[in-house]
Amino acid sequence: MHAEMLVRMVNQIAEFYGTGSAPDIAANETLSHLKRMWAPRMCKQIVEIGSDDPGLSPISRVAVGLLAAAQAQKRVAG
Amino acid sequence: MYAIDHHDYGTPPSDSQVRVTVEIDGTPLEVPEGTSVMRAAALAGTSIPKLCATDSLKAFGSCRLCLVEIEGRRGYPASCTTLVADGMKIRTQSDKLAQLRRGVVELYVSEHPLDCAGCPADGHCELQDMAKLHGVTENVFAKDGRCSERITHESKARVQALMTDNSNPYFSFDPALCIACSRCVRACDETQGTLALTISGRGLASQVSASAAELFIDSECVSCGACVEACPTAALSEKSIAALARPAEKSVTTTCAYCGVGCSLKAEVIDGQVSRMVPNRDGHANNGHACVKGRFAYGYATHPDRIKAPMIRAKITDPWREVSWDEAIQHSANEFRRIQAKYGRDAVGGITSSRCTNEEVYLVQKLIRAAFGNNNVDTCARVCHSPTGFGLKQTLGESAGTQTFMSVMKSDVAIVMGANPTDGHPVFASHLKRALRAGAQLIVIDPREIALVRTPHIEAAYHLQLRPGTNVAIISALAHVIVTEGLVKEEYVSQRCEKEAFDKWRSWVADPRHSPEATEEVTGVPAATVRGAARLYAAAKNGSIYYGLGVTEHSQGSTTVLGIANLAMATGNLGREGVGVNPLRGQNNVQGSCDMGSFPHEFPGYRHVSDDSTRHLFEGAWGVELSDEPGLRIPNMFEAALDGSFKGMYIQGEDLAQSDPNTLHVVAALSALECVVVQDIFMCETAKFAHVLLPGSSFLEKDGTFTNAERRISPVRKVMEPIAGLADWEITQRLSNALGYPMNYQHPSEIMDEIARLTPTFHGVTYEKLEQQGSIQWPCNAEAPEGTPTMHIGSFVRGKGKFFVTEYVATPERVNGRFPLLLTTGRVLSQYNVGAQTRRTQNNVWHSEDTVEIHPHDAEVRGIAHGDWIGIVSRAGETVLRADVTDRVQPGVIYTTFHFPESGANVITTDNSDWATNCPEYKVTAVQVVKVSKPLDWQLRFRENRESRLPSRREVARETL
Amino acid sequence: MTSVEPTAESQAVAAAIARHGHEPGPLIVVLHAVQDALGYIPEQAVRQIADGLNLSRAEVFGVVTFYHYFRTHKPGARTVQICRAEACQARGCQSLERHAREKLGIDYHETTADGSTSLEMVFCMGNCATGPAVRIDGRLYSHVTPERFDALLAHQENAL
Repeated sequence: MHAEMLVRMVNQIAEFYGTGSAPDIAANETLSHLKRMWAPRMCKQIVEIGSDDPGLSPISRVAVGLLAAAQAQKRVAG
Repeated sequence: MYAIDHHDYGTPPSDSQVRVTVEIDGTPLEVPEGTSVMRAAALAGTSIPKLCATDSLKAFGSCRLCLVEIEGRRGYPASCTTLVADGMKIRTQSDKLAQLRRGVVELYVSEHPLDCAGCPADGHCELQDMAKLHGVTENVFAKDGRCSERITHESKARVQALMTDNSNPYFSFDPALCIACSRCVRACDETQGTLALTISGRGLASQVSASAAELFIDSECVSCGACVEACPTAALSEKSIAALARPAEKSVTTTCAYCGVGCSLKAEVIDGQVSRMVPNRDGHANNGHACVKGRFAYGYATHPDRIKAPMIRAKITDPWREVSWDEAIQHSANEFRRIQAKYGRDAVGGITSSRCTNEEVYLVQKLIRAAFGNNNVDTCARVCHSPTGFGLKQTLGESAGTQTFMSVMKSDVAIVMGANPTDGHPVFASHLKRALRAGAQLIVIDPREIALVRTPHIEAAYHLQLRPGTNVAIISALAHVIVTEGLVKEEYVSQRCEKEAFDKWRSWVADPRHSPEATEEVTGVPAATVRGAARLYAAAKNGSIYYGLGVTEHSQGSTTVLGIANLAMATGNLGREGVGVNPLRGQNNVQGSCDMGSFPHEFPGYRHVSDDSTRHLFEGAWGVELSDEPGLRIPNMFEAALDGSFKGMYIQGEDLAQSDPNTLHVVAALSALECVVVQDIFMCETAKFAHVLLPGSSFLEKDGTFTNAERRISPVRKVMEPIAGLADWEITQRLSNALGYPMNYQHPSEIMDEIARLTPTFHGVTYEKLEQQGSIQWPCNAEAPEGTPTMHIGSFVRGKGKFFVTEYVATPERVNGRFPLLLTTGRVLSQYNVGAQTRRTQNNVWHSEDTVEIHPHDAEVRGIAHGDWIGIVSRAGETVLRADVTDRVQPGVIYTTFHFPESGANVITTDNSDWATNCPEYKVTAVQVVKVSKPLDWQLRFRENRESRLPSRREVARETL
Repeated sequence: MTSVEPTAESQAVAAAIARHGHEPGPLIVVLHAVQDALGYIPEQAVRQIADGLNLSRAEVFGVVTFYHYFRTHKPGARTVQICRAEACQARGCQSLERHAREKLGIDYHETTADGSTSLEMVFCMGNCATGPAVRIDGRLYSHVTPERFDALLAHQENAL
């Protein structure tokens, strides 16, 4: 999936949850949304793109980082 | 004429809870107060003769046939206009009454010759019945030279007026058969709300007139057929029965396959063919009404374009080869398995149709989950109301509208946002108009001046004519007024909503940057208008909100739905009749398709695939392990197809290549697939990219159920055998078996039984109960055994309602120098969505091409005149359409419909979509418009190759100029 | 919707709507005002009035055609009204009207080809003891026999 499109989508989600919420709560809600709504291959792709991608917003960055950690944990457990 | 099996009680029922006792011909009877004597008699089993009365219309009292004798009262009152009173004693028969009635019938017969043989109403005509009943067999006035001279004014016009009007494609009006009972006029007034008919002249010269003595096709008539259904003779009758001259053999009650109103219709059958569709007066969604589509435009089901045999081909550039069902199905199964073996389990997926029945949709998602083994299933709700599903689930706990349609009759203020019900949900619009004419007030939030803003006898109190893409800003501004002016229903909120979320929302929305004054610049709506509208809605005893795709098909679609729910909660407008949040769902079964779990992340009943207990329940019932990870949505499927990880699709009744945005992108994705199996009734645009074509079945060819926007499950009943031999559910079942996952249902009722077993909101649904009740609104279970008309009574499904902060974010689709206008889209009454059905009927006479509405100012600066070809260019593509210069749109905004593939409306829409659900932003596209000389080559080629159609009146006129 | 140049007629209609449109139940008042200004209700006025008062064309048309008083065609230079109520019938207006229709060559609610005369019916002008009663351009005449009718018309023409 087009990297730019995925980055934009994460940013939009993060923007919604970020309004009026502390950044860490927003990041967790973003993560939760991704896990519930996105297909695994999309989650995999955004993690591959990396939380250090310059296009990601601050909250997105945190959320993608958390997602990467969750995936790594799953691989270890699985 | 009404349906052949309709029992007419003469006048509408009373909903009074008070009962009175009367005596009809010596027999006592208890009836509600407010019932007419005529209806009371009918309830007692006595039919009082009548002509101008019918139970869908208010009593009129003009024919004087229904006279009765009432003890203690003088004269012979009309039983239709006389209401019962406690202790009333009524006599319906006597010599005097018989004499009076006979006299009336003789007068009617003198104006309407009894040439019954060959008349379409022969055997089913109320005048014929009355003549027979009273022994009138000839025109007694013609015999002895008594004067029957008609006084004619404007004689020439009069002669012309006596000619049959055949201008409407579906029904004719023969004035010679008209008895001027006014039922048609009243039906157009009370039932439809258009008031297109009148009685012109007076006395013996009284004559039904469409608008100002115009032909029906040129008049204000919208061809709903209410007048035809109300007419007691053949004066107004369906052309489809004109030649048949006998009543139908049987009547099958089924549900319309067009829009989300889900009208109950009776298919009358002669010689195995549908002779006409008559609205069911006992229909719970429609109360005996319908629109031009459901009522008349069912001919597509037997159109020559129907695919009659399965076909396959190796490459999409090869010609099609007709094969047997077995070969087509086995080939499909082999291909899917081959792809999965080569590219992985997740390389295939499917789309369910929101036009097929609940049972059929359930089987497709079951096939994908159990046979394919993944969650790559999605449905057209993705591109229309997926934000509704998301938004209402978050705030209220259920992904559906909260009321019935009739709830609007108890509404004091109705907001219609991003919807055009007179065109998209006509029967609901008629209910709404009735409520408005009875005193309810209307607020319209739409970039365009929709018909409801100003239509005979109705004027919106406020029209918030906002710029496309600014919905969230307007909603926040309305909320700001409600919060800062102390209009919140504090007690309701504190009892029923989560405190923390509300407090957070309240302080956020009170910020001055959300005020109408601050947002005026962005929305284009004057602050005073916003304040007025907010106050009106908040102060209403019962305020309701109705919304459509103008809310959901935006990059902030879900956010707007959240905002709408916030408004309803803040003003205490949820949990009783007359209020609520009402998404006007488009398709006949899109609600059902969603209910049946056609989502990559949800099982039937909106339960997440990762929820262990739900998944185990299905695993137990289906006997396979199921994936716990969300699958691909439609847009994701396209992306994955283009990057090579997605290779096969099973598409049931969905024309992605026409209805999804950014056509070039969709086409590229479909072309990249190795196996596309399309199951459809016509060779749709998507079929051009298919390798297997499985002929589907129309709603007339199967049993099943549809669920409308009211959560109302209604029966679909088979009227004829499937044209290609199999109903859609049978095809899916065979495919599943070929894939190695056994399915062995004998009848759709068994599928519904399984759905009911596995879905808590459907636990109580059975075909027996549907038969008894007529329809069931889910949730239907132990708590609500007969279903649930109104939701969230007492508490919300999620417990306490949750407020959400809804910050406005401008869409990425920006206007600039290159693309200075905004394009938005919509629908017309006569065509349905991509037009696959309606383009194959005579509805083309009203709309045979899509045009672009453009404001006179924008047209003038570009040198564009009405009717000119204009090129519309966006960042995604370009197309050419004819201009319709009008001030229904505001400067800076243009509007078009998308009922014809050659319009290419989706060639220019972009890939922006809702942040939460990927619902495409059809409603906001930045464009430039320029005058051109002719359509693009691909459009011209398309027109030449298109299925045969009738020319529109405009084309005929153009040709004859 | 293309914009159309306003005609004298449409302006008169617009004026009538502007003056009376806000009154409760304004349709008949507006129709009278239009007929007073133009002598009749033009065909296109139906649409304009319907739009101005937010009614349907059918509704307006129904009212216009129900009342004999409202004309839908330009009236003749003069209007002849014959009373057809019971008292005048008793005094022989039926033979009068037969004569009138034959003499003028038109039926009620019609205008002669040369545009000189329109024929209308009315029901009772309060002249019951001295019928048949006829009114020509608002002036009331009694005891109108066919001969007197011819004389009145001729006299009026000479006077014009």
